[in-house]
Amino acid sequence: MSDNRALQRVNVLVNHILQSTPPSSNLSLTREICLQYSPPELNESCVFDVKEMRKLLDGHNVVDRDWIYGLMTQSNLFNRKERGGKIFVSPDYNQTMEQQREITMKRIWYLLENGVFKGWLTESGPDAELRKLALLEVCGIYDHSVSIKVGVHFFLWGNAVKFFGTKRHHEKWLKNTEDYVVKGCFAMTELGHGSNVRGIETVTTYDPTSEEFVITTPCESAQKYWIGGAANHATHTIVFSQLHINGTNQGVHAFIAQIRDQDGNICPNIRIADCGHKIGLNGVDNGRIWFDNLRIPRENLLNAVADVSSDGKYVSAIKDPDQRFGAFMAPLTSGRVTIASSAIYSAKVGLATAIRYSLSRRAFSVTANGPEVLLLDYPSHQRRLLPLLAKTYAMSFAANELKMIYVKRTPETNKAIHVVSSGFKAVLTWHNMRTLQECREAVGGQGIKTENLVGQLKGEFDVQTTFEGDNNVLMQQVSKALFAEYVSCKKRNKPFKGLGLEHMNTSRPVLPTQLTSSTLRCSQFQTNVFCLRERDLLERFTSEVAQLQGRGESREISFLQSHQLAEDLGKAFTEKALLQTILDAEAKLPAGSVKDVLGLVRSMYALISLEEDPSLLRYGYLSRENVGDVRREVSKLCGELRPHALALVTSFGIPDSFLSPIAFNWVEANAWSSV
Amino acid sequence: MAVEMASHSQVLVEEKSGVRILTLNRPKQLNALSFQMISRLLQLCLAYEEDPSVKLVILKGLGRAFCAGGDVAAVVRDIKQGNWRLGANYFSDEYILNYVMATYSKPQVSILNGIVMGGGAGVSVHGRFRIATENTVFAMPETALGLFPDIGASYFLSRLPGFFGEYVGLTGARLDGAEMLACGLATHFVPSKRLTALEADLCRVGSSDPTFASTILDAYTQKPRLKQQSAYRRLDVIDKCFSRRTVEEIISALEREATQEADGWISATILSLKKASPASLKISLRSIREGRLQGVGQCLIREYRMVCHVIKGEISKDFVEGCRAILVDKDKNPKWEPRRLEDMKDSMVEKYFTRVEEEGEWEDLKLPARKNLPAIAISKL
Repeated sequence: MSDNRALQRVNVLVNHILQSTPPSSNLSLTREICLQYSPPELNESCVFDVKEMRKLLDGHNVVDRDWIYGLMTQSNLFNRKERGGKIFVSPDYNQTMEQQREITMKRIWYLLENGVFKGWLTESGPDAELRKLALLEVCGIYDHSVSIKVGVHFFLWGNAVKFFGTKRHHEKWLKNTEDYVVKGCFAMTELGHGSNVRGIETVTTYDPTSEEFVITTPCESAQKYWIGGAANHATHTIVFSQLHINGTNQGVHAFIAQIRDQDGNICPNIRIADCGHKIGLNGVDNGRIWFDNLRIPRENLLNAVADVSSDGKYVSAIKDPDQRFGAFMAPLTSGRVTIASSAIYSAKVGLATAIRYSLSRRAFSVTANGPEVLLLDYPSHQRRLLPLLAKTYAMSFAANELKMIYVKRTPETNKAIHVVSSGFKAVLTWHNMRTLQECREAVGGQGIKTENLVGQLKGEFDVQTTFEGDNNVLMQQVSKALFAEYVSCKKRNKPFKGLGLEHMNTSRPVLPTQLTSSTLRCSQFQTNVFCLRERDLLERFTSEVAQLQGRGESREISFLQSHQLAEDLGKAFTEKALLQTILDAEAKLPAGSVKDVLGLVRSMYALISLEEDPSLLRYGYLSRENVGDVRREVSKLCGELRPHALALVTSFGIPDSFLSPIAFNWVEANAWSSV
Repeated sequence: MAVEMASHSQVLVEEKSGVRILTLNRPKQLNALSFQMISRLLQLCLAYEEDPSVKLVILKGLGRAFCAGGDVAAVVRDIKQGNWRLGANYFSDEYILNYVMATYSKPQVSILNGIVMGGGAGVSVHGRFRIATENTVFAMPETALGLFPDIGASYFLSRLPGFFGEYVGLTGARLDGAEMLACGLATHFVPSKRLTALEADLCRVGSSDPTFASTILDAYTQKPRLKQQSAYRRLDVIDKCFSRRTVEEIISALEREATQEADGWISATILSLKKASPASLKISLRSIREGRLQGVGQCLIREYRMVCHVIKGEISKDFVEGCRAILVDKDKNPKWEPRRLEDMKDSMVEKYFTRVEEEGEWEDLKLPARKNLPAIAISKL
């Protein structure tokens, strides 16, 4: 009996290799009869030009990206290792926090020496900015810690000096920052205040006798918290603080303070403590700072928006404190832009790994003695990964669009950038976390090994849903901004313009009652559903808020009470904006295979978004039958995207060496010979 | 045992039990690869792969060269007669041969006892074992000819330590056997006087498992001394300069180094870059940089696009001019066009990497399907 079972098992394995009906006798177990890794490249076909698709997805600076990928693979600082005959580079997450911090700094020195940061603060204009964004993205694909540490130094410290400061600050700091002569950090968040910057408790006063500002941490909740770079490396910081002049609080202002000397000793009147070990990002030295009546020269106030004269008079061109605060915060949008795009690259690493694995790993036979089935040939596995792949595509275009409007920003586009970046940052970072979890599960136990990245990335990227604005707070801001826009247009009886709300000026779209496959895949139908949902939710939200206000509630309380609609609306707005970016990308393409495949991807994005949103049924935009049709179409699209899966993840353009061993020859990588 | 030793044959074949010894036999042309040789090599390689009695393939050259490269003179003749498509066919077959060798299921031992340049590297470096000797002279001289390191060089040069590949590919620097071994282009170094004995021993290999050949080769290999003025000892300078983003930045980094100390090697390096075709330098750098991130098949497909643009001559005609100046007229004074690096714009570079728009049926390189690949070949895909 047991002999029979053993023989049957051998048969299964042999079938598996030969993929045909085997002779059933005279079998001997030799070395060849064993699972073989079959590279998906040899079995999968590719009907479109992967290089073209990669250009579309990366959007800009492809050659610069390849250059810095190469800089990393060719240096021993990036933890090169060979697995299964291939070279991989990724951090050793088994290092202690201290080791991770030191190696991260060394990696940054190496990139600096090789000219990666050249022009990052001293050059301006869209081309320079896009190049910088591309290089930062690649840093983040290697290791989130590298990109965060670089990002804090250039985008927070550096941009604060550049945008909040004036000529005297630029001359003194920008070139030195670019060369890392000074190492900057950015002390905004406090223990007691994060997203609510206006509530921070640090206080700065002015002493006209010595022409100095005096910065104080008045209580424990005012300690600066999570300050990246502060624990070990930073020499200087931007300090956000309330500015008290002659007993009047002029609101939040930014100052430059030195916190360490060139030898790394902490300066007098500064206390710094470590934030300690974290669930990820341990290459970043987050610290806490207390200011004990620290005195800094008057010139260290970043005075682009407001200044204090030597005799202690407060002067500002912007009288309204709300507007002044807005002017202060406007340049910080760059953080949300870079977070959104880096989240998508992280999702790409997860998906490229999980999909490649699912094209080489088999499990269970569906027929007796039949070969085991490739994971991605299970419809359920397709359903788990391919809709996430389609969303990642749509969001990739969205991140590119966000970067474009950011680098071409004008004072007029500030509001749109704020709204769009808030929505995209929240939705894209949530998508990344969800994708990484699905990918981790999809590669099974292999996802647990930090070497295989997918599991580890969850910890490394989790903070993205919180920093630079908590996602939930950001989504509420989206709804509030839409509310304001709606009220303002209705009050002045003016048409909607901007934020993609122009569709509100036309009549309400009518959806067909019967949804055929071709209707569901039609871009006009998809646009109509997304517009209808946004429009209706915006009307519901504004009327609910108005109702509450009519009952005597304040506007703020009314918003809080309407949080469920606010949430639905923020999501509807963002998903529609995402759909628009992939439609725009598709429309620019000449007829051909790239456009065709992108059309499938776009339909998958649109339909999975509908399938997952209960508000369509809740508010009756679609009937129960319609929703069933959508669900069936998603399943059909899974089958149609399956043959393109490998080419679609190859088009991410992430080099093999930045993925992980399970994405390639995982049998060889785990062979005894490589122990 | 020899079945085919006719002296007119450009590839000589010897059969010694499980081993096939292929000898490139065009000594007057330093064994430059003719179309006929490439076709023959490809045919033999594919046949040996199917033939279970063949366990190992040895490739060597007759005379003082292993192989001095592709037969570019013939290609230039075709171009001048308005037949660049004939040239394209030549490169297509050559690259397919390179691909088959890179993904070969049986060990190939190349005995590099003499000159190995360009196409010669293409038929050896992709194979499993490369034996250098004291007579070996290796170079990728394409940028001086208005071409670029092709034959899959963007795959193997980019995988040399640090930025040594950029150095070798852009400057055309010559390497000796010891340097080839040090940087990994060669796997073994055997003094030429022991080659006969080595070959005899290899002929006793009865399995296509590479560990058998490896054991024999290890017994013959020596550790040669790297010469004092070897470029490989300057890897720190090479990494510092050749890692730069653009060719212009590489040259200015080298010039900065040169001002810090007078150094013959740096001056010679700068000079070779200044003499090379600006168009070639720029497309070569980008090709190596892309190649670093691609599998060997993708590299060859890209190089085939590039070489078709080169021989079509719409963006630059430097290939014909380079061959004229170096190989035909031998005045060593090519008139490059564009003349200066800054005139070779990014948009012009970009064109070399796109599909060739051609009336008629130009197609991307079609790589043959491969099967039963060993792990080492899988890792190159």
